[in-house]
Order: sequence, then structure tokens, then C-alpha cells
Amino acid sequence: MSVSDDKGGDIMSIPGAEDTIDPATFEQILEMDEDEVEREFSKSIVYDFFGQADQTFKKMDKELEKKEGKYLKELSELGHFLKGSSATLGLTKVKDSCEKIQHYGQLKDDSGTKDIKEEEAQEKLAKIIKQAKTEFDEVKEVLKDFYKDDAE
Amino acid sequence: MDPNQAGGAGSNNSSDFVRKLYKMLENPSDESVVRWGNDGDSFVVLENEKFTKHILPKHFKHSNFASFVRQLNKYDFHKVRHNNEENGQSQYGSGAWEFKHPDFKMNNKDALDNIRRKAPAPRKPNQATAEEFAPSQQMDMVSGQLMATQQQLHALEARYNELSVHHSMLLQEVMGLQKTVVNHEHVMQQIMTYLHGVDATQRRNSKLVFPNGAQSNGNMEAPSQAADDDNPASPLQHASKLLSETNADAMLNPRNLQQMNEITMRMNGTLTTPPPLDFTRATVRPTSRGPPSAASTSSVRVENLDNIVYPVGSSNGIDPMYSEHINNIPYAAPPKAVDASEPKFQEGRKKSTIPDPGWIRPPQILLVEDDPTCRRIGSKFLYAFHCSIDCALDGLEAVNKMNSGTKYDLVLMDIIMPNLDGVSACHLIRQFDTTPIVAMTSNIRSDDISMYFQHGMNDVLPKPFTKEGLLQMLEKHLVHLKKPSPQADGMAAPQPVQMARQLVLKEEDSPARSPGTVSNWHSPNQMPGVSPVGSTVPDEFAHAMQGQPVQHPGAYGVNPLQGNIGYSTSPHMQIQARHQQAQPPPGNRRQVSDMSGGDELSNPAKRQQQMYAPQMQQPMQPRPR
Repeated sequence: MSVSDDKGGDIMSIPGAEDTIDPATFEQILEMDEDEVEREFSKSIVYDFFGQADQTFKKMDKELEKKEGKYLKELSELGHFLKGSSATLGLTKVKDSCEKIQHYGQLKDDSGTKDIKEEEAQEKLAKIIKQAKTEFDEVKEVLKDFYKDDAE
Repeated sequence: MDPNQAGGAGSNNSSDFVRKLYKMLENPSDESVVRWGNDGDSFVVLENEKFTKHILPKHFKHSNFASFVRQLNKYDFHKVRHNNEENGQSQYGSGAWEFKHPDFKMNNKDALDNIRRKAPAPRKPNQATAEEFAPSQQMDMVSGQLMATQQQLHALEARYNELSVHHSMLLQEVMGLQKTVVNHEHVMQQIMTYLHGVDATQRRNSKLVFPNGAQSNGNMEAPSQAADDDNPASPLQHASKLLSETNADAMLNPRNLQQMNEITMRMNGTLTTPPPLDFTRATVRPTSRGPPSAASTSSVRVENLDNIVYPVGSSNGIDPMYSEHINNIPYAAPPKAVDASEPKFQEGRKKSTIPDPGWIRPPQILLVEDDPTCRRIGSKFLYAFHCSIDCALDGLEAVNKMNSGTKYDLVLMDIIMPNLDGVSACHLIRQFDTTPIVAMTSNIRSDDISMYFQHGMNDVLPKPFTKEGLLQMLEKHLVHLKKPSPQADGMAAPQPVQMARQLVLKEEDSPARSPGTVSNWHSPNQMPGVSPVGSTVPDEFAHAMQGQPVQHPGAYGVNPLQGNIGYSTSPHMQIQARHQQAQPPPGNRRQVSDMSGGDELSNPAKRQQQMYAPQMQQPMQPRPR
């Protein structure tokens, strides 16, 4: 549609945006902006999400270090939490990794179907959390770029 | 001694049996068989067999040991049990029977007078122990029975609760289905309104066309068309008549059910299942009773007619085959027309970005979501859809809000939340409230979904939701808050507005007229052979209803009218749907403009050109009126 065409150019033209952001999902949030220059609404959501994600990653690190009690369950819930918000923003890569965190935390494999052992889960969790952070940093740069450009 | 004893007997103070017993023990010759116990306060039958055979007949004129024991019991003798003694064995040998009575003692003949048959109301002090014993035994028994009864009661209670939960689930289910059917009816009516409009245009057009060159179309419809020029085509009339009946039927029953639901809510638990069943039958019947041949012929004709757009309804007013399709329209045409009209709306939305859904009043939505991002975006969308929004951060807060008496029109409920998850919250809310609850979740495997429905959820909105999905969900569950006119007007835009209004009025009237028409549906001759095409959907509905009422996904899945996006039970479908919305393939788009006819209607000149240009070389005539 025309909407996705002309607005899609904006964010998706930024290097790195293509495979990290789902344009349709992200743009329907942009559509909610009353002012297409200021982008007050979507910007505040995105920047709030940055803070939320940072916090969540910190909590994940703590739980992963702890390796006792209900840390796996906690990790799974944290993964689910971040999955929800990243999915809503259309940050596909982060979302996918968070889904894996959720699964590993439940001692399941990538797709959430087969059982895995706790040691394996720990290993995979450490890896995937690191990956999720990287992906988050990447998409954060893209988004920052997007909003900086728009604001200027 | 004997005289004394006889005297005692004469005074009736001791019984025959006791004296005989005493006498028997006085006989030392039988000592090896029966004798006094070592302490002289009991007697022992050492050899059971010999005692029965030889001694009993001698003293008691019978040889029945059991009856001897019974007799002893009657006189309150008790068998001395040795199980509890240290050695666990009788000191008189394993086969010995030792009997005891407090007043039956060696060398104490006088006490024998105290031994009496047990009376109904024993008065002897020495029987007090026995008295106490018996009631305590009875008490045990009674309390045991009480326990058992209580357990049964608990089981029954649990079962009852379970059943009432099931019952309310079924009610919810049936009510949801009713809503769907009612929505269906509305859509059909809108289509009818639209068709009437189209029909009117066509009639006017044909007035213009045929006088000028009836032969130009090269069709045989011209004469017949001229004949019924001034009335809405009879198939349309027929169809609207049928529709008004169906609608009436659908509208009548929800009240029964709602009443029932209220009753269940009050936990009166009267299980009056027949109404819902009746309802299902009633609704399935009318929709499936399309004349058997009609549907199939229509599909054949459609093929024959190739490029003619008849089936989608934009030109059936002048279709050559028109009169042969009399029974067809209400069944064959609507579903297609709906499919076509939905994308049209979406296109309209895209253009204006945020459409006004046209509520009678702002719907009150409760958004239950722990994730701030989702919550803010959800709220924003809802706000854009002219809803008024209340938020709850978890299931507990949601239940409290619902319980505090705040009325909402719809609840959007996240599933995984801290404190109280969405499913439990829904389950709790369902104990006192029937507000539609839509699960918002990324967990949309079919077992998840059926679990949501089992706990009283009405629908599922997969995450991450789209604006369109959300709006569809709102429109689906808040049909009663939609203004009916804008859509009808919009569809029949260039038509005389009067007509549209009339039809809208008719729509609103019809429920009231229901009682008279309802009975029709139950008469058997209303159900001729069921057409293969027309019956598939209702049959599946019926099947789902009969088989596993809680398996919504199935039942919903076959619904051709509603929410092909919001509804989809598999993530795959959802993604597809979203894809289509995001970047509709060109084919889809063409279909939209071709089929819906709405856009063209607003541009009658263009439309007429399309339709008649090939045949008519002359310039267009001005429209009448």
C-alpha cells in the first residue's frame, strides 16, 4: 500500500534495518504519531523500550550468574516479557532470540518442542542472551539513527 | 445344694438355662470336655466336638453348639478372647471356648439369680458396661456413615461445580455462536441493501438502455427485464423475506440464553439445555436449506457467464440468467460479496490511516497487559479507534476492576502476567461477569487456544497484534455499538437514500416480528435436500456443536464471514494475513475494485461505460432523477 511504500523508505533505508525490523509492524506504530517530524509517541515508546530492554538484560545476567533456585523459570519469564515488547515494535531479531530464551528457560530446545538438559540450557542461554544483546544494540543504532534524522 | 437351687428356681429368681449350666459343670466326669475355668469365674469348653455330641444333649436336649453359644449370649455370657493376651493363645488349648459372666462363679450359686436373659431395656447395674459398649459401637457406625455421606456430598458438590462451570462454558459458547450468526445476518442484510440499490440502478439503467437499442446487448433478457421493470427483482424480494425471517429467528433466542446465563450466574443451576440445542438446529436449518440445485447451478452458470460479474452482485439486476436464479441470491451471493467488501473497507482504512469505526458511544475497553510497550501501543490504537480505555497491569487488578462493578464492553487480556495470569483472571471473572474477553497472546498453539476458550475467553488476538486485527476484533464483538447507517449508506451511496433507510428500518423491525415466523423453521418441509455447497459450513458448525462444544478453534475456523485475520488459529495463517495487509498482491487489489463495486458505484458514469461501452457507441445519457 501507499502507506508502507512511502514511509517504509524512511526506516528501512537505514543500513541494518532490513533484517532486524518488521516494517509493517513498526510502521503501524509510526502511523500513530500525530506529528511526523517530532514522532513524539513512537519515539517515547521506542526509547522506553530501550530502557526496558537494558533492565531486562541486566536481570537476565544476574539470573544466569546465580544458577540456583528458580533462575531458569525467571529467565524464561524475562525472555517472554522482552519478547512481547520487541514483537509489538516489530524488532524481529530480538524477538526471535527472546523466544529462544523463553524456551531454554523451560528446558526446551529452540522450537520449544524437545526437552534439553539443564547444562545444555545454561550453555545455550548464555549464548543466546549475548546474541540478543548484540541484536538489540544493532537495532538500537538503527532506531536512534531513525529518530535522530527525523528530529533534525 | 440341689434343693436350694430348686427353691431358687421355684422363686423364679434364676433361669433354667443357668441352673442347667451350673449343674453341667458340677459333673466331674465331664471335666475333660467342659469344666470351670482355673479361676472359677468362667467355664471352658475344652473339646468342642465331644461337648456338642455328648454333653449338650444330656443337659439341654439338643446338639447344636451354635445355639448353645447364642443362648449364652442371651444371658450375657461373653466369650473370653485370648488374642490380646501375651502368648496369644488360650491357656486351655487352641480349640477351647471360654465363657464368662460376672455372676457365674464356682461356689457362688446365689449369684446365679442375677443372671437373666437380656431384656429389651436391661436394668442390671452389671450390664452397664455392655450398655455403654453398644452405643459407642453404634456411634462409631453412625459417625462412619456420616463421614461417608459427607464425602459423597463433597464429591457431589465438586461434580456440581464442575458441571455448572461446564454449563456456563457451554452457554458462553452458544451465545458466542449466536453473536456470530447475528453478525452474519447483519452482513447479509447489508448486502441485501446493497443489492437492492444495485438493482434499482440497473432498472433505471435498463430503462435508458433498452429503448435505445435492446438488441445491442444481444441478450434475451430484454423483454423480461422490461416486464418487471418497476419492482425490485423478485429474487431480491424473496431473499429479503427469507432474511428477515432468519434474522428474527436469530434474535429471538439470545434472550432465552441470556436469561439462562443469568440464572446460572445466580447459581440456581437449572440445567435447561433444550433451548440452546433448539437454537442450533434452528439456525443451522435456515442457512442450510438453500434449494438443492440452486447453488450448483449457480456455479455452473458462473463458469458459463465467464466475464459477467453476476455472482459478486454488482450487476445481477440485468443479468440475462437472472430469472433462473431466483433462489440463489441469498445463499450464493453473500459470502462472496462479503469477502469482496472486507478488503474494500481495509483499503478505505489505509487511505485515511485511522478510520472512525462509527460507534454509537465510545466502547469501554479494559486492557490488561503487564508490558508497558504493548500497553501503550494497544492503548494508542484503541484510542485511535475512538474507544475509551482503562488499563490493568495484571490479572489480579483486572479481576478487581471487573468486580468493582465497572462496566466494560470488551476486555483485552494478556495471558502471561505476574500475580495472576490472564487465563485464571478470565476464569474468575467468568464467575460473575459475561463481558467478552479476548486473549492477547503470542502463545497460539491450538491446545493453548482451546484452553483459553475453556476458561471462558471469547476470542484470541495473536500478538503482536496489528491495528487491523485489533479493529476487526472490536467490530466483531461490539457489533451492538456500531451505527448501522453509515455502512449501509456507504454501500448504496449513489442510490436514493430513501431505499437504504427503509431497509435499515426493516432490519431493526424484524426482531420484533419474530414469534410468528419462528415456527416455520421447525416444520420439516422447510428442510428440503441440502445443497452440497450451501450445507458445508453449517454442517461443520453443527458437528462442532455436537461433538466437542469447547473446541472453538474448529467451529470458528470454518466461519467464512468473520475475522479471517483476527481469528486465525495458527500463527501461520496470521502471518499470511498480515502479509496480505501489509503488501497486498496486485491480484487482491484488482479483486477489490472489481468485485465490491462500491468504488464504481460512486462513479456511475465510469461504471456504465465499463458495462455498456462495447455495445453502445453513442454518448452516455444523463441519469434520470
